[in-house]
Amino acid sequence: MQNSKPDTNGAANSAGNGVAMEERIQPSRSFTDEEFERYSRQMIVPGMGKEGQLRLINSRVLIIGAGGLGCPAAQYIAGAGVGTIGVVDGDVVELSNLHRQVGHATSRIGMKKVDSLITHLRRLNPLPTFVPHASHIDPQNAADIVSQYDVVVDCTDNPATRYLISDVCVLLCKPLVSAASVQKSGQLIVLNCPPTPKGLLDRKYAPCYRCCFKKPPPAGAMLSCGEAGIMGPVVGMMGVAQAGEAIKIIASALHLPPSDPDSAPERNLQQPTLLLYSYDLESAVGPYTFRALKMAGRKKTCFACGENSTLTLDGIKAGNPNYEQFCGLAAPRSNLPPEERITAAAYHAAKTRGELPEHVLVDTREKEHFSFGNIDGAVNVPFGKLLMTAAAVKRGGASADQILAPAELEPLPEDAPIFVVCRRGLDSQEAVEKLKELGMDNGGKRKILDIVGGMKAWKEEVDHSFPFI
Amino acid sequence: MTSHAPVKDDGGGGQFTILYFASAGSYTAKQVETLPAPLPLSKLFATLEARYEGIGASVLDHSLVTVNLTYVEMPGDDESEAVIIQDGDEVAIIPPVSSG
Repeated sequence: MQNSKPDTNGAANSAGNGVAMEERIQPSRSFTDEEFERYSRQMIVPGMGKEGQLRLINSRVLIIGAGGLGCPAAQYIAGAGVGTIGVVDGDVVELSNLHRQVGHATSRIGMKKVDSLITHLRRLNPLPTFVPHASHIDPQNAADIVSQYDVVVDCTDNPATRYLISDVCVLLCKPLVSAASVQKSGQLIVLNCPPTPKGLLDRKYAPCYRCCFKKPPPAGAMLSCGEAGIMGPVVGMMGVAQAGEAIKIIASALHLPPSDPDSAPERNLQQPTLLLYSYDLESAVGPYTFRALKMAGRKKTCFACGENSTLTLDGIKAGNPNYEQFCGLAAPRSNLPPEERITAAAYHAAKTRGELPEHVLVDTREKEHFSFGNIDGAVNVPFGKLLMTAAAVKRGGASADQILAPAELEPLPEDAPIFVVCRRGLDSQEAVEKLKELGMDNGGKRKILDIVGGMKAWKEEVDHSFPFI
Repeated sequence: MTSHAPVKDDGGGGQFTILYFASAGSYTAKQVETLPAPLPLSKLFATLEARYEGIGASVLDHSLVTVNLTYVEMPGDDESEAVIIQDGDEVAIIPPVSSG
């Protein structure tokens, strides 16, 4: 090998033994001195070798989302020497990102995330070609962007985008490494790998996202990191694992059409695994930290890759399917009449004027949110607990008084109003409806009111120094 | 699952473990519990709905289910196989997570 360095490390010997070997690698190319040294430690790992490294160098990986998953994923993908790395994100770096989004920096707050992350990646490894796509992925641009790459890494943060990316990967035959993480848990699965045209069902093929998760959860049930919180190491672990899977796919050439078509059936038999990571802050010795679950293959009835799939790239661009509607984003969750709502400013004014001598203010945020600051006199009844108690009441297993701490309501006149506030004004509307359903409005004698816009509005309208989190 | 769990002949006294991941754990306020076995898989969601009203629409309808670490198709999608959850089995309810 002309580029072989003196035998100063083990890599020189194991990297290949002569021209014959090199010629079989497509496209034929030798390493530069820098590449040889930079990648030496991974090239000597069994299974990687010169062939695997050249596949990485010749490959193009798209990382969608430059956040908690995308940053660690991109670091290792860049470090490993993937030749072209695209990054898609329309956001800018914020201070609250930095505890987990390790590809950004305090000095780059306000910068576009794609530029910030690529700055970081270039310092780590200047050799790859980095391509910024500084907008969110959407049905209009998805196919154009994805088609430029070999493997897609989904590091996004909402269900509509996950379904969109999966559908486009099915249609363009791209393997998809999908991970997600919120609060204290993470999931990872490799989808559509090796990629197979949709509609084929003659043997076991890899599933797509829709084969695993046919329906999205109701819009209100889906927590975002901004609302539910996220532990840095949890999302970081999932992002690193995504990089590992992407590297594995490329090194073993699963992103390429099979060189020997006869071996295709065998490689299609791979059974995908769903990796779950649960990180319990309350019990450090929980037995369920890592679970690897065996998943099924492609589903015959799958909307995207199954036998009757009508999915097309043109259709997606034209708004069919409608991802926002599918994920319930189009319709607001609740629609209380105006007389059941009050603005934060009006509530504050009435209270200050002494017009609300006897009332209850229920704050449905989680106790962690509540602990950072709350309106004087508020009772904390976390939304999840409220729904559970409401369900127990309906079953007859609890009395309606238990929804609020019983002592809080007992001495109140039956017409004393209840006000409900949450973080941003959605849960509180649902809580108002639940409380009415349970008869807590005493047949209409008591008003139950939603504080519009939640504690966010309280901060904006009443108390600018409120520690909104 | 039917294939590799000891079959109880008395039809009672056995139990299986059920794990609640992500929003399933938030909804039930627990990560794990045990329920009586045997139980046909087709009765699982109804059993949980009776214990946690509303869990069907909020969590189960969009979750995937595993028995002994292996994905199972919920009856209704494919009626051909009647899976019975047996004594000692481990069932998991896994809702999708979306953030990142």
